[in-house]
Amino acid sequence: MSSTAETAPQENQPGGTLETLMGPMVPVMQQLTRLVVLLFMVTTLLFFMLRLAGDPALVLAGNDATPEQLEAIRAQYGLDKPLFIQYLNYMGNLLQGDFGKSLASGEPAMGKVLTMLPATLLIAGLAMAFSIIVAIPLGAWLGFKPERGDRRGVSGIIFVFQGVPGFVTALIFIQIFAVNLRWLPSLGMEWGTIMYWAITESLSIPIPVPSKTWVLPAASLAWFLLPSLTRVVAANTAEAMREDYIRTARAGGAPASTLLWRHALPNALLGAAALIGTQFAFLMGGAVITETIFAWPGIGWLLIESTQTLDFPVVQSLALCIATLVFTVNALTDLSFQFLDPRLRTKGN
Amino acid sequence: MVKPVVRVDDLRLEFLGQTGAFEALKGISLEIGEGEIVGVVGESGSGKSVTAMNLLQLLPRTKINVPTGTISVLDHDVRAMNEKQLQHIRGGEVSMIFQEPMTALNPVLRVKDQIDDVILRHKDVTPQEAEEMSLKLLADTKITDPRRVYESFPHELSGGMRQRAMIAMAFSCSPKLIVADEPTTALDVTVQAQILSLLKERAQKTGTSVLLITHDLAVVAQICDRVYVMYKGEFVEEGTTKDVIGNPQHVYTRALLNSLPEGKQPKSRLATVAAAMLEGGADNVIDEPIEQVTRVARTGDTILQIQGAVVRYPKEYNLFGRPITFHTAVDNVTLEIEEGETLALVGESGCGKTSLANAVVGLNKLADGAILFRGKNVLDHDPETRREIQIVFQDPQSSLDPRWPVWKIMTEPLTVGQSPSKAELRVKAASLCEMVGLEPSQIDRLPHEFSGGQRQRIAVGRALSVRPKLLVLDEPTSALDVSVQAQILNLLLDLQDQYGLTYLFISHDVAVVRHIADKVAVMYQSKVVEAGESEQVLTAPNHDYTRTLMNAVPSLKRAFAA
Repeated sequence: MSSTAETAPQENQPGGTLETLMGPMVPVMQQLTRLVVLLFMVTTLLFFMLRLAGDPALVLAGNDATPEQLEAIRAQYGLDKPLFIQYLNYMGNLLQGDFGKSLASGEPAMGKVLTMLPATLLIAGLAMAFSIIVAIPLGAWLGFKPERGDRRGVSGIIFVFQGVPGFVTALIFIQIFAVNLRWLPSLGMEWGTIMYWAITESLSIPIPVPSKTWVLPAASLAWFLLPSLTRVVAANTAEAMREDYIRTARAGGAPASTLLWRHALPNALLGAAALIGTQFAFLMGGAVITETIFAWPGIGWLLIESTQTLDFPVVQSLALCIATLVFTVNALTDLSFQFLDPRLRTKGN
Repeated sequence: MVKPVVRVDDLRLEFLGQTGAFEALKGISLEIGEGEIVGVVGESGSGKSVTAMNLLQLLPRTKINVPTGTISVLDHDVRAMNEKQLQHIRGGEVSMIFQEPMTALNPVLRVKDQIDDVILRHKDVTPQEAEEMSLKLLADTKITDPRRVYESFPHELSGGMRQRAMIAMAFSCSPKLIVADEPTTALDVTVQAQILSLLKERAQKTGTSVLLITHDLAVVAQICDRVYVMYKGEFVEEGTTKDVIGNPQHVYTRALLNSLPEGKQPKSRLATVAAAMLEGGADNVIDEPIEQVTRVARTGDTILQIQGAVVRYPKEYNLFGRPITFHTAVDNVTLEIEEGETLALVGESGCGKTSLANAVVGLNKLADGAILFRGKNVLDHDPETRREIQIVFQDPQSSLDPRWPVWKIMTEPLTVGQSPSKAELRVKAASLCEMVGLEPSQIDRLPHEFSGGQRQRIAVGRALSVRPKLLVLDEPTSALDVSVQAQILNLLLDLQDQYGLTYLFISHDVAVVRHIADKVAVMYQSKVVEAGESEQVLTAPNHDYTRTLMNAVPSLKRAFAA
């Protein structure tokens, strides 16, 4: 099985050049390079766009400030300098890890964002987990025999759900579960509690108890991902079921359940994994809406709040934070492909 | 008479569609004896795959209607069995081998899992025992390192290895019958030869009956005891392979044999099935050589010079996206083509012949060397030179824009740098249609309304629209049925004759090359290993690889000599 056609002039010898040693790190380095470029572009774009939106000095000084007070504030914050110089100063500070101070409260802007991040990660994580747990079996069931009447009915319902805007769903949830049934709170956030299960006198196991306040925001946010994910899993499963290897498995006597779970679904999930990555940005958009409706103190809520008050440093920090998050999730999805798809795993040899 | 393993009686089968039923099988009867290798030969759409799939009831039962017929497989009335009972037989007593081993094996499961699954399903063994059995089966298919193949994913194996794994899987539960549906069609000839003899050897050793479905009479001749010839849902002829091929009775069988280039006078017109069926006799078809006009048209002037051409593709990239390692697809190839002649480039998949063809038409850059058309470098993108060289691709299914009408497809090259009126283009398209043997009235139709052969005529017409001197034909008949291949070969010879065209003909089919080419260049692992007059290269090859290739080609003549 030797093939001289594979011999290239600059073929690497194992254990030879620097590039061979760097080999496994190259994808990671490439991703990091891309992240830096992305963050640079997001920051630059946002800096100039926000300056178009309003004058930060006016925000700082308040409505009844005199021209002299405005001048003083401009001088204090460096706002009297040309825009490009301001930009260079800002970038210089960023490189030193200084993200500026919140104009509203004077706290460090990034610190403010980071304290609110866990609340968003909580509902985003719950929403994603819920979507994945529901979408995979549901999509597989739908895609296995898509022509059946019952599947068509369910597909139709999901299609309609996909068309309902997220805020409408959230309001309907509030109406049903908070107002009518009074099962769940309609707003606010608690971190849940930890109960201790005493096994003996001296030994007790901590059990985290989720708070009821998580349910509605997480469910509303899941609505942004669940229908599209289900539809993709269903479509991919249906497609996989038409592949030649399904015919081979059938000819080998495989029962229907094996065809679906062992042969079709793993192939179908490859496409679905890609969707989760790209939809995460969409989920962040959903978080803005959901957190505003449920008064959930996460970064989505903070984004609305700080944009309304033109709290530029906070908005900038938020943008950096969200861009990094979206990027990381996408990079992780890329990475997960290597586990899901053996064709990508063994590229090297 | 040995007891038949399969007995099919007067089977009719219709596919139920939205527009009505389509009758795929029109009352076929088939018998396969114990240990017998039986071929079903026919062209695409003849119903041969339907026959195979239906033995194991693999067609969706809700989408077909079977008005009459019985199918008995190993004394089971399979039509009366439910899915659960069928699952017991499938892969156990009866197994199948499919055409394309790349798509027929699950890409995300190791060979190990795919074979073990079948064994564990049908036999009462532990996973360890199943593993031992699988390794033994793989070793039986003459794989030298069964352990590696066993642990591999399908994409890590070559086409031949995958098909061996498939054969191992098919033999895993000692079946009484194996149904092989075009098992070697997707493989290179040298691999095909190995797989066919392997299949035959394994079947004989285990006493398994084989039903072999193929479009290739030469494959049938090589391994089948008996053969059924299928045409439009019917068996038109059956008998021992020797009788059917040596002394065909039915018009269709004769036409099919006559449409094969093997054994025919080079550059003669080949018989075509349509003509034979129309005239009611294969004896009527024209079989005289064209006068050697094309020979005379060889002016001796060099039209194309390929000088030390090297084509490389990037393989791995560094941090900045710059390629650091390369795959050399064409390695220092030097060739010359004279005006009016046909140079055939022969070789197996991956040998670099298509990369070279693309370089000739300027679609690939050269890493080194030069390609000169009448002394001008083709990569200079001089419009005049570019017009003189045109290309026809392998698969007319994908090389024509499905949403463009024929007139627009055919005249597209004329709109490069010019803007003729629509009326002019339509007139031009109509005359091109006539040139390539299509109805000029069909110029408003879309590609899907044509058959494969007609689509390839459209592609030839498109290439001819700018009156080129050199036509690069990249496997122009490989995606076509043999009888359609004959039509296209006839057309190409006629066109060369009429317009003094020069052909660079890429093919893996030695019989076709022998028929059409003046000169042959054999490519192997990116290099040209042998080149010369076709007569000389193909009858007295010098290079080892050429000899291997020649011996591997399935041949009717050789099958009977043996």
